Amino acid sequence: MNTITSLTDLFHKLDELKTVFRYGERLIPILQSLIDFMSDTVPLLENINLSIAESTSKIPKATHQIHDITSATELATTEILDTIDVISTNISSADATINALIKSEREKKELVTSLTALAGNTPEAEALARKYDSLTNVEQTLVPLTDLFEKTRSNVYNISLSLQVQDITAQQLAAVNHLIESVQEKLSALIIDFEVSNVAVMDTSPIKVPVHTTFDPNARYSKSDEQQNMADALIKDQASRASQDEIDKIFS
Amino acid sequence: MDLRFLIVDDSMTMRRIVINSLRNLGYENFVEAGDGREALDKLASDSTINFIITDWNMPVFSGLELIKAIRSDAKLEHMPVLMVTTRGIKEDIIEALKAKVNNYIVKPFTPHILKEKIEQILAIAS
Repeated sequence: MNTITSLTDLFHKLDELKTVFRYGERLIPILQSLIDFMSDTVPLLENINLSIAESTSKIPKATHQIHDITSATELATTEILDTIDVISTNISSADATINALIKSEREKKELVTSLTALAGNTPEAEALARKYDSLTNVEQTLVPLTDLFEKTRSNVYNISLSLQVQDITAQQLAAVNHLIESVQEKLSALIIDFEVSNVAVMDTSPIKVPVHTTFDPNARYSKSDEQQNMADALIKDQASRASQDEIDKIFS
Repeated sequence: MDLRFLIVDDSMTMRRIVINSLRNLGYENFVEAGDGREALDKLASDSTINFIITDWNMPVFSGLELIKAIRSDAKLEHMPVLMVTTRGIKEDIIEALKAKVNNYIVKPFTPHILKEKIEQILAIAS
């Protein structure tokens, strides 16, 4: 009886084994496809890894170059400001000289008038005084020059105001640099993941730009009054609320 | 009132532009600092400073931190502070107002705005 049971079990097991082999036969092509896929994919992943590594190695150079741009523009801006200072000083000096000449010319005219009076207002003396005026009307020539100096001084000052663009672009470049550094961190992490496992799950979380840093990622050079008007409105609103609080305190 | 300004900005360019603008407005008395920490040191060593113009984004110690430090110091709490910054979004302005800044200018500034804000602060202070 036991022998019959054992044989039945044996046939049952052989049947199961046969089923396994049948499945195995079906699985072999799938496994072969998988191996083929892996053979194709691994070099591709290695290529991606190499590309990422190469790109990552170039990032520090890019950030250095951006930093160099900031330094160069700051240096150039300083030179422009120095030149503006020299021009302003020269204009002031020339303006002072011209004003002294105008003053001297007015004094000369007064002297000529006095001399004419001393000469007894004779027709000859008056004719000489008129001739002197027509020959040496320096004041008329010099006064427009002082206006020109004033305009030039104003234009030079406006150039210096426009140089605020340097500070604003420096902050924009610092923000770009920070973004590049964040990308580098992500890529470096990805390279490590590739090395640990051929198929790594890429971290797709967004790159965060810290708000409280030494740059403003939203810095922009704009002549629009929109943001200043908003600031003014908020300050006015706060001031009126503060006043109301004071009134409320008095009557409470 | 003779004003002695403390100009706080990490950008030397901006400090020069602000000082040039103040000179054009007739002011002649200035002290400079490159960040909030240096500004506090200057305030500790120079009691004649009576007006601060500060940037927001600076290394070491920001303009906002500087204002908070000033407002929490019994000797300096009433010091007029004007912020001149690129930060022009509403949330930033509100944050600066919460820190008790006296007035706020968004860069790039014009001499007209600078004059107006200084005068507004002085008018309220007097």
